[in-house]
Amino acid sequence: MFVPYLKKPLVLIGGGLALGWLLVAIFAPLIAPYDPLQTLQPLAKPMVAGAKGELFLFGTDMLGRDIFSRLVWGARTVVIYSTLATLTAYAFGLLFGLIAGYAGGRTDAVLSFLANVVLSFPVLVLYIVIIVVIGASPVNIVIAVTFSSAPAIYRIVRGITIDVASRDFVKAAVTQGESTLRILFVDILPNTTGPLAVDFCLRLGYTAITIGTLGFLGLGLPPPTPDWGGMVNEGRAMAIAFPHLVIFPCIAISSLTLGLSLLADGLREVNDAKERHA
Amino acid sequence: MTQSLLQIRNLSVALPKGADRAFAVHDVSLEVKPAEILCVVGESGSGKSVLTATLMGAAPRGLRVAGGTAEMGGRDLLTLTERQWRDIRGKDIGMIFQEPMASLNPALTVAQQIEEVFELHSDYPRAERAARAKKLVEEMHLPEPDRILKSFPHQLSGGQCQRVVIAMALAMSPKLLIADEPTTALDVTTQAQVLKLIRELRDNHGHGIIFITHDLGVVADIADRIAVMRRGEVVEIGSAEQVLKAPQHDYTKTLIAAVPSLVPRDRPAAETEEAPALTVSALNHSYGAKQVLHDITLSVAPGRVLSIVGESGSGKSTIARNLIRLTDPTSGTIAVGGEPILDLKGGALRRMRRRIQMIFQDPFGSLNPRRKVGPMIARAAMLSGANRAEAVERAKELLELVGLQRNAYDRRPAAFSGGQRQRVGIARALAMRPDVLIADESVSALDVSVQAQVLDLLADLQKRLSLAVVFITHDLRVAAQISDEIVVMSKGHVVERGPANEVLTRPQHPYTRDLIEAAPGRGAF
Amino acid sequence: MFLGMFLLRKVAIALATMLAVSFLIFLALEVNVEDVAVKVLGQYSTVEQRAAWLAQNGYNDPFLLRYVRWLGQFVAGDWGMSTFFRAPVVDMVLPRLAASAILAGGALLVIVIFGLGLGVLAGMRPGSLLDRMISVFSVVTTSIPDFASAVFLSGIFVFWLGLLPGASTMISGLSLAELVLPVSVLGLYSMGYLARVTRASMVDVMGTHYIRTARLKGASMGRIVLRHALRNALITPVTVIMLQLPWLLSGVIVIEVFYAYKGFGTLLYDAALNQDIYLIEACAMISVLVVVLSQILSDLLYGWLNPRITLGARA
Repeated sequence: MFVPYLKKPLVLIGGGLALGWLLVAIFAPLIAPYDPLQTLQPLAKPMVAGAKGELFLFGTDMLGRDIFSRLVWGARTVVIYSTLATLTAYAFGLLFGLIAGYAGGRTDAVLSFLANVVLSFPVLVLYIVIIVVIGASPVNIVIAVTFSSAPAIYRIVRGITIDVASRDFVKAAVTQGESTLRILFVDILPNTTGPLAVDFCLRLGYTAITIGTLGFLGLGLPPPTPDWGGMVNEGRAMAIAFPHLVIFPCIAISSLTLGLSLLADGLREVNDAKERHA
Repeated sequence: MTQSLLQIRNLSVALPKGADRAFAVHDVSLEVKPAEILCVVGESGSGKSVLTATLMGAAPRGLRVAGGTAEMGGRDLLTLTERQWRDIRGKDIGMIFQEPMASLNPALTVAQQIEEVFELHSDYPRAERAARAKKLVEEMHLPEPDRILKSFPHQLSGGQCQRVVIAMALAMSPKLLIADEPTTALDVTTQAQVLKLIRELRDNHGHGIIFITHDLGVVADIADRIAVMRRGEVVEIGSAEQVLKAPQHDYTKTLIAAVPSLVPRDRPAAETEEAPALTVSALNHSYGAKQVLHDITLSVAPGRVLSIVGESGSGKSTIARNLIRLTDPTSGTIAVGGEPILDLKGGALRRMRRRIQMIFQDPFGSLNPRRKVGPMIARAAMLSGANRAEAVERAKELLELVGLQRNAYDRRPAAFSGGQRQRVGIARALAMRPDVLIADESVSALDVSVQAQVLDLLADLQKRLSLAVVFITHDLRVAAQISDEIVVMSKGHVVERGPANEVLTRPQHPYTRDLIEAAPGRGAF
Repeated sequence: MFLGMFLLRKVAIALATMLAVSFLIFLALEVNVEDVAVKVLGQYSTVEQRAAWLAQNGYNDPFLLRYVRWLGQFVAGDWGMSTFFRAPVVDMVLPRLAASAILAGGALLVIVIFGLGLGVLAGMRPGSLLDRMISVFSVVTTSIPDFASAVFLSGIFVFWLGLLPGASTMISGLSLAELVLPVSVLGLYSMGYLARVTRASMVDVMGTHYIRTARLKGASMGRIVLRHALRNALITPVTVIMLQLPWLLSGVIVIEVFYAYKGFGTLLYDAALNQDIYLIEACAMISVLVVVLSQILSDLLYGWLNPRITLGARA
């Protein structure tokens, strides 16, 4: 059943990029030539041999840390926190979306109003307020992302649930006296996975962007954690003389988020084709 | 002998590689003469719609004309360029569609849409265009032409929209009209009026008309000549009389035999006065200020079939939803086996649901595409109290009972056709061993030959299991085949009720008479 | 009359939303009075100083009372004093908002022209080469973070080609050259997004029965697109444009920080770095207000474009 997905170039390219970064994150200690926190030689240019003959593929930053190694370890940061934050956001969004979409009425009205309140904040403003209040730490960033993404996921899940719940097979389950829990998780949930898989990929990308942006603003993971956005922030002041400080981290994050978008697009195309077929 | 308007010779349209057959339309030869209605009849997948689309130069993406000619006025339509087509469409050939509402642009008024045809194909000045549009609307017997012209499509009814579409198709008096299932989406009484209008076009204006339909009743009402299509080929062609009265091809014979007769089947009268399995009394239902059900009272005894017949908006589906408690009525009572069900909650409600089950209309929406059909049926059996082993066995028995194989157990709904899915739906409902079965338009979405089989199955099971059945339908013919009693509904009221035979042969209420009058092909079948 | 009811309902919801948002903001930033004192007086203030300040400013009152008082003052235009800039918050926020409006306005223009244009072009003939090129372009623009686009575009136009200035401080007055990069980067994401929405909507409309009707009346492709497709296809995208404002507001923060542009974004950013809570409160309130207003505008546009809503056929 996965064969149609593997025939799509979009899925292959996007999945390849995303999977590539996942592998880099997993095998970071094997790939990175240096300790990402160790001072070696300040501001070495890319591909230029250092004083002791070592090679800095992407150069070093102003504290003398190897940029390539920091990128590799930064992949681990972004993969772990993006995935964690997206998963927790999904747990809440999915639960409340299913409940609101199926129950309707007052439950739906109250939950939807609350979701709208959160969604009426521009995302970054919301993050800034949350971070000012609870401070920037890895856990707090996961909390902030959950708080701001869950309502968006809620909306999508609610919409799909309303759609699925209106179909006759759900009515049939009701008239058989099936329990509400079983209807939600056996009849409705499996029929939402297509569009939700697409959204999950996209949201994973958004979360990576968000964490990167917070790092860029200096509000993300506290230094010296290797973090792509943070690297751009640190290198920004000297970017005119040393563009390699910012270019490589930007390429890294863009290739990850682009990969996830392409993957999402490919999945959507296959889903749509399946839908038309059925 | 009059000259033919359109002459199709050996037309073939190829399907893309990997389709279930090589040609959507294969080696079709037809002709249409002026003042003649040629009906092209076929079930779903017969290629009839591809044929008409090809004749308008608008074959769906991926399809390719593989051979043949379609000659009209000395030109072969199949060789025209897009630019040449533009001159012909709307001027020489007009088209009428199945979905009248969707065929009109929601953002433009009726006047704008009709006048556009003149803008495209004539140099009439503005005032002349408006005057002609108004005249067309009047000719379509539309009430208040001025209001209609100023309206947007969503402000009109389906029948009115279809008249507007016809007006548009006729604006330039094209010699040839192509009508693709133009009345399928309409209620019977509206359908009868639109058919009458189409006959007028033939008689008064001499249009040649290709009329595509799946409904043999409609064919009998309207056709001069008939072409029967099956799997892309014309299997029989001839005058209406010939094809309907003395069909040659086996497929035509099956189709004709499958048309349900308006004459009720002989069903034995109830032997004894049994206590009703289902009673409904004084049921009222409102959506906001709008009352959709007025004081409905019904009852069905075990082993009997009650049909509720009505057009869209009659409230018949609301009754079904009330019976299975998807929505609750504003007032009234419903009792199953003497036990009132409207106050039940929680566990008691769940136990009651077992006794009253429903077969849904849409064979594609009523089965969860993610679940295998066997476990789906077995689950229903378990909910009614069977243990796992019994449930699996019952599911397999039921699959056989409804005419499927035992090994269908492990397949998903996608592996079945519409008719087979409907059988699965019946098996699922029966797995709960219900006393009352509700069938809401359960055969409406099926091709006529499949419809006949499913109806037979239902009638057979109902008798064997002594079920009380409430059969909801818009189709009097179907009702005639299965009912002991018929209730006719209009605008939320019961207007007539009685034994099927009485209601169909000696209708009392004018609305019932209209309905019977409007049933297509009344004389023929 | 129907449109009036529709609008009234939307305004009521907007007011309720603003009320809830203000409560959330106040709750988050001022529920802990000790924290407020530390943030206002600084870390090195003494316990006595804080206690005195709290008493003097009514912080010993119950929370709800403080909230109502704060809300009243906010509505009346008294937004407090910035602790970092030592100036009334109102006087700081409004000019900065105007500066950001220039950026956002420019970006909106880019978004509307290119987003709608590319979307319509792509959706006219789905599957064509042009469609595929536009689709790839919009995927790329919607996937790259703002700060990375800024780095890439600056790399090309500032360092490599030397065509544009790398910062937009506007020290010597309004400079168009300094606006080009921030406006482009800011508009990039929403432009791609709008192009996708427009394309999808256009493809849907081009597949409808009424487009087939128009074609079978003998209308040309140009006429079909202009007269029959556009008005129906633009309903969704036009409402989406207004809903891009929250994104633009997020983007404004990143882009202003990157280009050192003195607008609303850098103000909020400085406020956040300096724990300037009254300034943060005001900025958050204002940005939500902008979003809520844009939603009302979007609903209005939808009602105006869609005859089915304006004429009251559907609730």
